[in-house]
Amino acid sequence: MAKFILKRLLISIPVLIGITFIIFFMLNVVPGDPVTVMMREHISPDVVARVRAQMHLDDPALVRYVRFLAGALRGDLGESYKLHRPVAALILGAFPNTMVLALWAAAFAWVVGIPAGIVSAVKQYSLPDNIFMGFSLLGVSMPVFWSALLFQWAFAVKLGWLPVAGFSGWRSVVMPAIVLGWASSGMIARLTRSSLLEVMRNDYIRTARAKGMRELPVILGHALKNSLLPVVTVMAIQVAGLLAGAVITESVFNIPGVGRIAVNAIQSRDMPLLQGAVLFETILVIVFNLGADILYAYLDPRIKAS
Amino acid sequence: MKAWLSRAWSRVPEGAMRLGLVVLLMGVCALAARAAGKTLTIAYNEEPKTSDMQMNTDDYLIPLNVYDRLVECVTTGPGKSSLVPGLATAWKVSANGKVYTFHLRKGVKFHNGEELTAQDVVYTFDRMLDPATKALNTDILDFVLGAKDRMSGKANYTVGLKALDKYTVQIILEDPFVPFLAIMASPQASILNEKFTRPLGAKYGLSADSTCGTGPFMMKEWVLNDHHTMVANPAYWRGKAQIDTFVVKVVTDPETMRMLFESGEIDIFDCDYATTQIPYFTASPKWGKQIVSGTRAGIYYYSFNQKIKPFDDVRVRKAFQMAIDRKQLLEKLYYNQGRIENGVMPYGLLHFNPAQATFEYSPDKARKLLAEAGYPNGVDMEIALVASTGSQWLKLDEVVQAMVAKAGFRVKLNQMDEAAFYATRKEGKLPMYTSKWSADFNDPDNFFYTFFGAKGTVARSFNALVQDNYKLLDQGRSETDFAKRGKLYADLEKRLVIDQAVWVPLFSMKHLYVVQPKVKKFVVPWNGWSDFPIYEARVD
Repeated sequence: MAKFILKRLLISIPVLIGITFIIFFMLNVVPGDPVTVMMREHISPDVVARVRAQMHLDDPALVRYVRFLAGALRGDLGESYKLHRPVAALILGAFPNTMVLALWAAAFAWVVGIPAGIVSAVKQYSLPDNIFMGFSLLGVSMPVFWSALLFQWAFAVKLGWLPVAGFSGWRSVVMPAIVLGWASSGMIARLTRSSLLEVMRNDYIRTARAKGMRELPVILGHALKNSLLPVVTVMAIQVAGLLAGAVITESVFNIPGVGRIAVNAIQSRDMPLLQGAVLFETILVIVFNLGADILYAYLDPRIKAS
Repeated sequence: MKAWLSRAWSRVPEGAMRLGLVVLLMGVCALAARAAGKTLTIAYNEEPKTSDMQMNTDDYLIPLNVYDRLVECVTTGPGKSSLVPGLATAWKVSANGKVYTFHLRKGVKFHNGEELTAQDVVYTFDRMLDPATKALNTDILDFVLGAKDRMSGKANYTVGLKALDKYTVQIILEDPFVPFLAIMASPQASILNEKFTRPLGAKYGLSADSTCGTGPFMMKEWVLNDHHTMVANPAYWRGKAQIDTFVVKVVTDPETMRMLFESGEIDIFDCDYATTQIPYFTASPKWGKQIVSGTRAGIYYYSFNQKIKPFDDVRVRKAFQMAIDRKQLLEKLYYNQGRIENGVMPYGLLHFNPAQATFEYSPDKARKLLAEAGYPNGVDMEIALVASTGSQWLKLDEVVQAMVAKAGFRVKLNQMDEAAFYATRKEGKLPMYTSKWSADFNDPDNFFYTFFGAKGTVARSFNALVQDNYKLLDQGRSETDFAKRGKLYADLEKRLVIDQAVWVPLFSMKHLYVVQPKVKKFVVPWNGWSDFPIYEARVD
């Protein structure tokens, strides 16, 4: 297992370098200049030229990329062009918010998705199955910004139960976590349902029933464990996705997280900040994917053996 | 607890004693609420990034409340303003218009307790020009004697900035520059404390702890991308503000901002962030009477890029002007919340000319002009806009697209990324676009020079490269006779808009805010900015 983890970690190094390289040069190809965006309507060609030179933006792209890599290896991700603060501090300052949101969203997705999937599989084509699957279809298909606005209107403006936006206290986490977790819960419910249905058709389930076991222990004791194998993998990857992809939720609910930082960095051509955010989110995805692989190997002895 | 209270209450004699006790309890509650302080909360659509005004070109809310300037531009009525003493109690301008001597107010304290001195003023302006600062607002001082040498690193101080004594500052200009006093009232000219600022270097203004001014509010807390909190400065030289705490939440989504307002979480809603909500608020029985509006010394316009066909031909430019029904746009798109502007100077700006000549709306005449210019079958053209600004400009562009089609203009709308838009524009290569410009300081130079100066006209993709215009602009900067200067700008305005047809003036919009009933004395600033000083406002 240690060898497997080490090998995966080594492979991730070129992945990280490759991704930063691609992002850096893509941003260099598209037109745009951080100083011009900073000045917007107050543009002054003289000031732009002077400040660009002072920020070393006139250096060749390769030189700037190597400078970035050298800094990153020392743990220095540079300073944001727009916010004038160290990139690492900006990302680490925003990450706890993103993490809290993602973990609550994931918890909602699992707590709702897995039981819904089990009930749907056990009571296939029943009313609860149709309700749960309809709910999951709605979650998967409804754009986050739309469901967010509906939730805000209903629970904050009309009922006044929860704050419209912001990120202070548990009440402010409820709506964004549900909105963000809804789509994931739908996916998990559908996956649990189909996986459980497939497992339930296996011979060993029939054997268990033939032995005279009651239905609940058959499902929970025999079927569920095996049916959750693909679900667990998807769940681990989803957490990475939720951490990296909560951009819209963060914007609508006004949560100062990493996603908002990344979007602002793209819009303002804030290269150091964007590089830092991409690097950070790539590491997260790699770590969670690795976690999913390890978990899968742990849960499925066949993988471990191979 | 309940039983205990009940027993205690029963022991109080009935009648006057009980009444007295109730009144006393109410008084204690009121005092407790008062001690908790009066808080005003607003939303801002962008993280202000820094409170260092030398590094910020467009977020003025912090400087207008945390700092003061030598001179202040105050709102004296709807669309009216006046320059009044700020940190300087008096000033003198030399006969040749080059030397400004400011006498500072004595006893003014910075938030760190330091007294304001002439050296602070010299330090502030020299810091702006110091290349190590990498300041973005050097334009407001680059005409000071020695500024160019300082900016290029040839000199390690600015010769035109002098502290004559503890309370007297002298600023010497290279050439006479009439708008200088008005510029000194702009947020970019906010005064810093040398002792506090110098050791912080580039870290100045990046947090509440690293911000220090003389203004009515002091920075207390700053959570990036979330909110910042200012508290009233008890030692403010004009007296402590009525509001104890001023909270600014950063809310990027306009719908969220509106819902925050309706649920009472913010106290002032700026309709500029969601113009589509204006009919809702004006018609609402609850909010209609809570609208506070003011004129705006700002203008909406369409640009013409004279280096991109077909607008290299003045006849085509005039045809486009005549193809736009500005009255209809104002009525239908902007709910008549503004006034049509005919020139470069909007209503409320110094030397505004109400008699400025105008052009008529006539698609037929426009079509004839196009034919004369060699386009009898109409002409293809492009309007660029920033995609991320949402519907703000898109709606206007779409209506104009349909409107000018009647005159033969086949418009393609090109939605661009913000950075690409500004980068292309800076190169002078952006096709037509629409935008708005509000006064930074109350002087025509802030409009004319910005758009039609030799560098500005290229950097804003107008390319109106006319040498005579530049000469008139320079004359405007140095003409000290008020009446002559007004005439000069009126003539220049006619020349630019009517004769040369350099842009399409559209309208100046009222700025509408909706305020919660508890907010009193909120005044829309003279220039109509979304950034305003909150010093005068009250909260019940």
